[in-house]
Amino acid sequence: MPSITNRIRRLRFDHNEITQEELAERAGCTRQTIIALEQGKYVPSIELAFKIARVFGVKLEEVFQYEG
Amino acid sequence: MAPLQKRAWWGLITGMAFTIAFILVFFLMGSIEKFDRDITFRMIIDVLLIGGLVANLAIMNVPLKKPGMVDERDKIIIDRAPRVQWLAVVFTLVAWVIGLNEAYQETDLIPAVFLYVVFMSVLIVSTLAQCLGIIIGYWRMNRNA
Repeated sequence: MPSITNRIRRLRFDHNEITQEELAERAGCTRQTIIALEQGKYVPSIELAFKIARVFGVKLEEVFQYEG
Repeated sequence: MAPLQKRAWWGLITGMAFTIAFILVFFLMGSIEKFDRDITFRMIIDVLLIGGLVANLAIMNVPLKKPGMVDERDKIIIDRAPRVQWLAVVFTLVAWVIGLNEAYQETDLIPAVFLYVVFMSVLIVSTLAQCLGIIIGYWRMNRNA
């Protein structure tokens, strides 16, 4: 199991069910990367993590959690 | 499927098609000696080689320069692909070295035309292995979650 988890799926739901495509476009990545993130199959760079948090207008820790 | 992943599959399929055509021409038109003598034979092989490389370039490189088609995850996979390429090229060269050495052991003379054939085969293998490396990269990234 990855030690870094995320709440992207939940946050998309909370933000009027923003699509993966739209989130990807606004965060500057591909939809497949958003899918991989939601499935816990990829840990993003700090830059992409900040971009995703900025799209939702929340702090980084509210999107990504470290479970060490 | 990610745009780069699709491109890699297309690159591999196109590359395989050119490689099969390449091998078929060699089988249908004759031996390596004929290749050395026959200009038409060489021209067909040259066209296939250049055509294959240009097709691969068009599939793999040009469209991926468009913004938004490749992101950081794709770049990690692209950066790892040369490992597969390197292995494939090394194994191809080892196979040629052993094969040619054994085939021409008694004469001690390897025809110069083999330089051309070895170089061509390494180019083809390298191009195919790049696509394969990208496909393996996506597979491993999805598997090793």
